[in-house]
Amino acid sequence: MVERKKVEIPEDVKVKVSEGEEYDFPVDISPMHEGERIRKGDMYVELAGPKQPGFELVMALPADQVEDMKVTLVGKDLDELEEGKAHPFAMIYYVAGEKIDNDLEPIIERRNHDFQNYIEGVMHLNQRYDVWVRIGKNAVEKGLKSLITIAKAVMLLFKNEMPFIEKIEAVYATDREFVEKTLKEVAMPIFEERDARVESLHDEDVDEFYSCTLCQSFAPADVCIISPDRPSLCGAITWFDGRAAARVDPEGPNKPVPKGEILDPIGGEYSGVNEFAKAESGGVTERIKLHSFLECPHPSCGCFEVIGFYMPEVDGIGWVHRGFPEPAPNGLTFSSMAGQTGGGKQVVGFLGIGISYFRSKKFIQADGGWYRVVWMPKELKQKVLQYIPEDMRDKIATEEDAKTMDELREFLKRVDHPVVKGVVRPVDGKKITEGWAEESEEEEAEEESIEGVEGEGAPVQMPQMTQMPMQMPMPTQMPQMLPFTQAGPTIKLVIKNATISIDKIIVKKKENKKEKK
Amino acid sequence: MGEVSPITVIAVTGKGGTGKTVFAAMLILRLCRKGYLLAVDADPDSNLPEALGVEEGVEKTLGEVKELFQHTRDEIRGDKEIWFEAKIFEAINELDEFDLIVMGRPEGEGCYCYTNNLLRGILRKFMQHYDYVVVDCEAGLEHFSRKTIDRADCVVVVTDTSRKGLKTAERISSLMCELNLKAKKGLVGNKADERAEEIMREFAEERGFKFLGALPYDEKLAEYDMLGKSVKDLLLEQPDSKFVRAFEEVFEKFKSWCLCV
Repeated sequence: MVERKKVEIPEDVKVKVSEGEEYDFPVDISPMHEGERIRKGDMYVELAGPKQPGFELVMALPADQVEDMKVTLVGKDLDELEEGKAHPFAMIYYVAGEKIDNDLEPIIERRNHDFQNYIEGVMHLNQRYDVWVRIGKNAVEKGLKSLITIAKAVMLLFKNEMPFIEKIEAVYATDREFVEKTLKEVAMPIFEERDARVESLHDEDVDEFYSCTLCQSFAPADVCIISPDRPSLCGAITWFDGRAAARVDPEGPNKPVPKGEILDPIGGEYSGVNEFAKAESGGVTERIKLHSFLECPHPSCGCFEVIGFYMPEVDGIGWVHRGFPEPAPNGLTFSSMAGQTGGGKQVVGFLGIGISYFRSKKFIQADGGWYRVVWMPKELKQKVLQYIPEDMRDKIATEEDAKTMDELREFLKRVDHPVVKGVVRPVDGKKITEGWAEESEEEEAEEESIEGVEGEGAPVQMPQMTQMPMQMPMPTQMPQMLPFTQAGPTIKLVIKNATISIDKIIVKKKENKKEKK
Repeated sequence: MGEVSPITVIAVTGKGGTGKTVFAAMLILRLCRKGYLLAVDADPDSNLPEALGVEEGVEKTLGEVKELFQHTRDEIRGDKEIWFEAKIFEAINELDEFDLIVMGRPEGEGCYCYTNNLLRGILRKFMQHYDYVVVDCEAGLEHFSRKTIDRADCVVVVTDTSRKGLKTAERISSLMCELNLKAKKGLVGNKADERAEEIMREFAEERGFKFLGALPYDEKLAEYDMLGKSVKDLLLEQPDSKFVRAFEEVFEKFKSWCLCV
C-alpha cells in the first residue's frame, strides 16, 4: 500500500493560496457545456496534453488532514502564463469523508473530467497522466483570470454531486519541476497500485457480470459474458469497461447480468448467466460455463483473437491466433477453424477467446488450465509467456517443435507433458484425464497410416476468410468428428475408424464448393 | 458557443478521376468563410490535403489512431473511451481556416466492432461543433455504410463525360437507398461542353438528381495540377479563369439547394 500524504510544497516557487468557498464565477457552470470543444484558434492556453507533462490525482486522507475548500497553486497563474502556448499542469485533490476509502479514489477522480467540462470555456480530455486541458479566450474575456477559480468550481461540484465527500482540498500546479517530480514520485506509484488491484479482482468478488451483444449484427444469437476473470473474446472489453458502459447506457450493448446462484464454481456456471443467455440468444444457448473448454463452452461470435482446439489424438488443447497463417497440428488453419466456430454457436471442441484471457487465474480451469495446453504458435506463446506456470513453459510445443500430430506426440512424450500420464487440475487437485494408453504395437502400426492421410490432408487450405468468417456459415461437420471421451484407449480406436475417412471427405467437399463459385 | 446550431453534412463522391476532390476542395474553401468547417478525407485513393494545399499540416490520420487503439487497448488503464476520444482529438488537424480529418488506411485484420462503435459515438458528439462537414468519399460510400459518419444532408456526385461516370452516379443512388441514407442528391458535371451538359441534365432529371451545373475543361486547372499547385492557389491566382467562374455559378446553385440561402 502506497502511503497517502499531502505533497510537499516547494519553498522556492511562487505559491498562491486561497481558503474558503467561492460562489461568484465569471463564467457559466452547467452540464450544458459538456462536450464543448475549444479549437486551437479559440484557445487562450493549453494545459498538459500531448506536448506537456501533467496529471490528475485524487487521494483519500484522514479528515483532520484536509483543509476544506483550500486551494494551493504552485507556479504561474492563468493570467501570467504565455498566451497561445502549452504548459505543464497538475490537479491534486485531497478528499475526506466517513465513507471514503482508497477504493473510491479512482471513482472520484473520474468525475474531474466531467466537472471541468461543466465550466464554460474549459475543455478537459483524457485521464490520469494523459490529461489535456484547454482554456478558451471566451472564458478569459469574461473574466476568468485564475486557475484557483476553476479549482473552486470543481470542488463545489464534487461536494454537490458526491455528497459523501465531506472535505476537499486542492493543489493545482503549473511549475514544470513540481509537476514532473510529483507525477513520478507520488502519482505514478498510486496509479500502479490501482492497476494491480484491478488485476486481482475475481468473479467471486462481484455481484454482477456484463453482457456484450455488439456482435449480434452478424451473429444474431451471440451472447458474450464478461466477468472479472473472463474479458470479452474480441479482447476489447474488460469487466470494468462493461461496467462503465452499462452505467452510461443500461439499455446499450453492455447490460448488467446478475450472477444468481453459483451452479459450478470450477466451471464457472451461474444461474443468472444461464437465464440471461437463454433469453438473449432466443433459446439457442441454455448453459454457459465461463471457465470450461469441453462442457458448455462460452459461445463464439467470430471476433475472437485466438481459437482453441481440442485434439483427441493427444487429449490436449492447442491455441492459434488470427495472425498465424499455417495449419495447426490438427491440419486446420485459424480461418478454417474460425469458420466452423463463429456465429454465436457453442461448438464443443473449439473455443474463441481474447488474448487477455490467458492472463486469467481461472483460464479454462475446469479442463486443467495451462496443464492441458499442448501447442501454440511461437509468436503467441512469447506474448503470454509470463502467464504460463513456470513448470509448463518448456512443455508447450510451438510450430518449431511440432507441425504435425506425430511430431506433437513425440514432443509431448519427450518433455513428459501432463497429458501423457494424465492431467491433475490445479484448482481442486482432481485427476481429470487418464493419460495416453500404454504404448502398444497396435498404436505404432496405426501411426503410419495416420501419417499417410495427413500427407494428403494438411496441404489443402480451406478458403481464406480474413475479415469476418462468421458471415459465411459453413456446414459444421467438424465438431461431430471430434469425440471426447476422456479415456485414451477409446480415443485411439475412434480415430482409426472415423477421422481418417471423414477428414478426406470434408476437405474435398469444401474445395469443390469454392471452385464452383 | 453553447447554443447548438444545426450542422450540414455534405458528401462529395463519384468515380475516381472525375475531379470530385477538386470540387470538394473548392467547396471547402468557399464554405469555410461562412462558419466552422470540418473537412473529412474519406477516400484513400484521393488526396484532399494536397488539393487544399495543407498536406504539411497533416500529422496523424484517424486510421493510425484506430490501429493504435486496436493494438494497445489491452494495456490502456482506466477508461478506454476517454483515452480514445483524446487520441481522436490528436488526429484532428487544426488549420487556420478549417479542421481536417484524414480517415487514412483501411482496417487491418481482427475485430473492429468495439473500436468502430466507440468511434461512431465520439465522432457524432464531436461533429456537433461544426456548421459544415464536407466529406470527400469514394463511390462505395464506405464510411456511411459503416456508419462511422451516421448521416448526410446532401450527396453531390461529380461526373465527367464518360459513361462510367454516369453509371457510378446511378450506382451511388441505389446504394443510398440500400443504406437508407436520406439525403438530397445533386449532380455536378466536369470537363463538359454544352452538349455533354445537356446529356447530364437529362440524366439527372430522370433519376432524381438536382443538376447543379457543369464545369468546363480548363487547361489552367490541368496546368496547376501538373505543377502540383493546389486548388487554393487556383482560386487565389485565377479568379477569372473559366473553371473558377463556372464553379462560382455552381456554388450559388448549391447554396440555394443545399443550404437554403
